[in-house]
Amino acid sequence: MYSRRVLLFFVLFFLVAFAVKTGNPNPPSYLPTPYYSLPVSPETNDTVALGRLLFYDNILSGNNQVSCASCHNSYNAFAHTDHQLSHGIFDSIGTRNAPALFNLAWKKDFMWDGATHHIDAQALAPLHDPKEMGSSMEELLSKLRSSSFYREEFFNTYQDSLINSRRVLQALAAFELSIISFDSKYDSVKEGVADFTHQEVSGYKLFDQHCSKCHTEPLFTNGEFMDNNLPVDSSLDDKGRFLVSKQKEDRYKFKVPSLRNLSYTYPYMHDGRFAKLHDVLDHYASDEQNGCDRKNDLEKPIVLSFNERADLIAFLLTLNDDRFVFNPTYSFPEKLKNKLLED
Amino acid sequence: MRTSLLVLFGATTLTFTKAQLNFSLSTDSSVSVPLRLDSQDSISALRFYISNVRIEHERKIVWSAEQEHYLIDFNQDHLQSNNISGQEGSDLKEGVLKFVLGVDDNTSAQGIGEGPLDPIRGMYWTWQSGYINFKLEGVSNQCRTRKNKFQLHLGGFQKPYRTAQNIELKISGEQKTVVFNLKKLMSTINLKEDHTIMSPNEKAVFFMESAKSCFYVQ
Ligand code: HEC
Ligand code: HEC
Repeated sequence: MYSRRVLLFFVLFFLVAFAVKTGNPNPPSYLPTPYYSLPVSPETNDTVALGRLLFYDNILSGNNQVSCASCHNSYNAFAHTDHQLSHGIFDSIGTRNAPALFNLAWKKDFMWDGATHHIDAQALAPLHDPKEMGSSMEELLSKLRSSSFYREEFFNTYQDSLINSRRVLQALAAFELSIISFDSKYDSVKEGVADFTHQEVSGYKLFDQHCSKCHTEPLFTNGEFMDNNLPVDSSLDDKGRFLVSKQKEDRYKFKVPSLRNLSYTYPYMHDGRFAKLHDVLDHYASDEQNGCDRKNDLEKPIVLSFNERADLIAFLLTLNDDRFVFNPTYSFPEKLKNKLLED
Repeated sequence: MRTSLLVLFGATTLTFTKAQLNFSLSTDSSVSVPLRLDSQDSISALRFYISNVRIEHERKIVWSAEQEHYLIDFNQDHLQSNNISGQEGSDLKEGVLKFVLGVDDNTSAQGIGEGPLDPIRGMYWTWQSGYINFKLEGVSNQCRTRKNKFQLHLGGFQKPYRTAQNIELKISGEQKTVVFNLKKLMSTINLKEDHTIMSPNEKAVFFMESAKSCFYVQ
């Protein structure tokens, strides 16, 4: 009887331990080396915890109503669904779709056009953008310094009470770098603990043939700027990478997005023009002109039969990582609720 | 009226002083074409980074500044921060003063710095990352811009627009001053056309190269 109880205890113990582990899996071995080191033990890492508070706190915006999470929702793999273009302070509409945030440590540069070269610098962009958060680092620092809640949090994290730009930015970056998603069915198959269905296998082959040049495994992006021949939206005329590099050949090139978690990250493309995966496949199949006769990176239209489409989509759905999306360590922090009640 | 900025140089310390500083450009008839500044023209901000300041003699570093980076800010409120001190050096007869005009590319490629490199100094682009190496702002009625303003934010550390400049100036013991000749820089800028530079581009590189040639020792 006693030994049974011990056994039960151990079984429960391992179940709990396993649950925690799958909540934040270590990156699997088939991944390339990341550009940034991942925060150590993210569940207990103070810098990550501080970054998470900042990420969810409306204090970052000029009118205290917009947080990073307003546009990057954990339940949408940190993308912004329903909004083609981002939606910021005072209901301002931006010019691009808010991308999903995960596996950022494997990114050489950020934004659709690569305008940000380092993750620590990234948050300055939304913070200062009059259409996103409409604030500034100076304003934010003064709010943080006059908040006893944050004075304490910074002290706990850094063992002194200094609150400066670098600490704010590095904390945000630490939280963002902790957001990783490698727990999809695809990953289980890779690890040899699950099998694809026949349909998924056939979709995988089609993917390999038509998509993997740009959406390269295992990150499902080659990290490059490419032109997938989207017709120019003349109301935005977003020239993409050209805006940063000023090189003619970069006109209308955008960062190849990852295809992980697509079920959560709609609408698609830099301007959120497509609501459904079928719309995306329609685009890749069409030979419509892109509106400016540019040379693009698709060699020819990718025309698939009805069944092939279904297979390809079945494969793409194996890239969804539900455990990541519903991982409580990424969602709104309890602590912040208490702070908001006190304010 | 002088429009040059002085960098005083002693045996062991370099001091940027405000001494001869004048932010308003006078109607100096000697200001050369194409820039004709009249009395309404003025400069409201002139700031730049310098990095890795050191003096070498026979390929050895004989003096180096305390900090890696300085933000030289010719603004009435910030004059004190323009002092540059370094380690005590032995008596120096001659050498080569070397520094990077701007934030060196390696530092730029990293994340966010502290002190002079803190983005609240207004020398970091926010919508696109990287330090502004050199900022020159003012008003000139040559500029067909809102309120006749010109804003040159020169920066960029990635190919093909690397803007930081390596500067080397021969010095000898008697020479006490490093001068930045603002007048000379202005003479290379046609404010009618080049009134707004806000991101790395060819012009930014060109004007940084011009700025490089405006330093000399006295
Ligand atoms: C108003 C909506 C909005 C807010 C608020 C917002 N973002 Fe974003 N975010 C976007 C958009 C839109 C982009 C894409 C911008 C572009 O490509 O120019 C983006 C891009 C990013 C990226 C780059 C991702 C990649 O893969 O390249 C990161 C990281 C990011 N945001 C983090 C943050 C953080 C941290 C905050 C809070 C400080 C924040 N965002 C606030 C809309 C927003
Ligand atoms: C030549 C390179 C290239 C190929 C081949 C390619 N893509 Fe893309 N894909 C891109 C680029 C670039 C974007 C982003 C374009 C933009 O937003 O302007 C993109 C965007 C997408 C998106 C939107 C993702 C998001 O989060 O917004 C999906 C879905 C997608 N591609 C699926 C596919 C599929 C499926 C295939 C194969 C049938 C494929 N792509 C082939 C380059 C490519």
